[in-house]
Amino acid sequence: MSRRAFAALVRKDLLLELRGSEVVLAMAAFVLASFVLFRFGLGGGRPAGGTRAATGMLWVAIVFTAMLGLLRTFAQEREHGIWDGLLAAPVDRAVFWLARACSTCLFLLAVQVVALPAFWLFFLQDGPPPDYGVLVLAVVLADVGIAALGSLVAGLASAGRAREVLLPVLFLPFAIPLVLGAVSATTGTISPQTSGLHTLERLGYLALYDTVFLLFGWGLFEFVVED
Amino acid sequence: MPSPDEAVVCEGLVRRFGERAALQGVDLRVAAGAFLLVTGPNGAGKTTLLRVLATVIRPSEGRVAIAGHELPRAAHAARPLVGYVGHGPLTYPGLTALENLALYAALYGVPAERIGPALERVGLASRGRDVAAEFSRGMSQRLALARALLHAPALLLLDEPTAGLDSGGQEVLREVLAEPGRTVVVSTHEPDWFDGLATGQVRIEAGRVAA
Repeated sequence: MSRRAFAALVRKDLLLELRGSEVVLAMAAFVLASFVLFRFGLGGGRPAGGTRAATGMLWVAIVFTAMLGLLRTFAQEREHGIWDGLLAAPVDRAVFWLARACSTCLFLLAVQVVALPAFWLFFLQDGPPPDYGVLVLAVVLADVGIAALGSLVAGLASAGRAREVLLPVLFLPFAIPLVLGAVSATTGTISPQTSGLHTLERLGYLALYDTVFLLFGWGLFEFVVED
Repeated sequence: MPSPDEAVVCEGLVRRFGERAALQGVDLRVAAGAFLLVTGPNGAGKTTLLRVLATVIRPSEGRVAIAGHELPRAAHAARPLVGYVGHGPLTYPGLTALENLALYAALYGVPAERIGPALERVGLASRGRDVAAEFSRGMSQRLALARALLHAPALLLLDEPTAGLDSGGQEVLREVLAEPGRTVVVSTHEPDWFDGLATGQVRIEAGRVAA
């Protein structure tokens, strides 16, 4: 039953997004605007710190973009009092979190389909091409981490009055290790001297982060939404 | 000891929100098949009582059991037995009536074939493909009723169910409530509306059952 509930909850999120376009379009516009600002801020060139600085900018922009989307996470449930209906249902609370994390991850991936090519065009056009396979893996792993942490924190913040303030305060400190891992892994996909072992180590770090926050989310969400 | 013959048992039920106690030691027993009205002034704790019974919020103190299942420990076993209509419709405004019921059918593990008849039962069969945001308050209440009845609950909890209902909606509600074999607990400011249906009444004042 939980599997069917999970699928129905994800489908619901996707349907609402397709009809309302509340999150993905806003996130895409935000991340592209951030790149334009960085580009103008740097005087139209590549950042002085090279590839590492560029990928740092990429992930900072993505984390802030994700936060924009997370501000709308559980917004409908809160604004229309739908939580009471969901919580009365015989479904493990963790399923609500997992479904939302999954939709958030899909929204992030959709945004990155636009954001990543734009980023390369703006900042790394003259550099070597990335290892696309590893890049995609790194992006997916980082997105899973952002979605797992973000959905848990958004659930926590949605219960409070100062949600808009609480969300970044709770989300950003925990996102720091993720940004470090994502920057390192993404930089590795561009640098030709990166060894296979280093790549594996960086991806492993992101996978470990994901595992930790998937376990936290699964175990803690019940206490976040009840009381 | 609570028994399955008693649909609801509350003993010394306290529910706090921060420092404020919305329920301050409620003792209540509802026999299976009974129809109980819960009345009282605004802010007395009626909605909080129903939310605890619906397993939406946990009791802070005291003992609560639904059909013998102690809350919150056995809430997972109690939930399939309870249908809850709250203040709002508890449905997504951006989804159609059919999509909303399909979501809840999945959450309750109910076959999708039950959705059509559920909408028909509340007179919304022709509006199934309309988004809930377009519904009037009365239609939203009907949809809420269809949602709460979808899994054929043994215990129906209704919070001000007559609010916003037109005469057609009231007729539907009366028909549903008159069906035998179900325990019903209704919070209301209009006890007279339930004449001929209710088998008992309690008044809540300041978080306690009034003598």
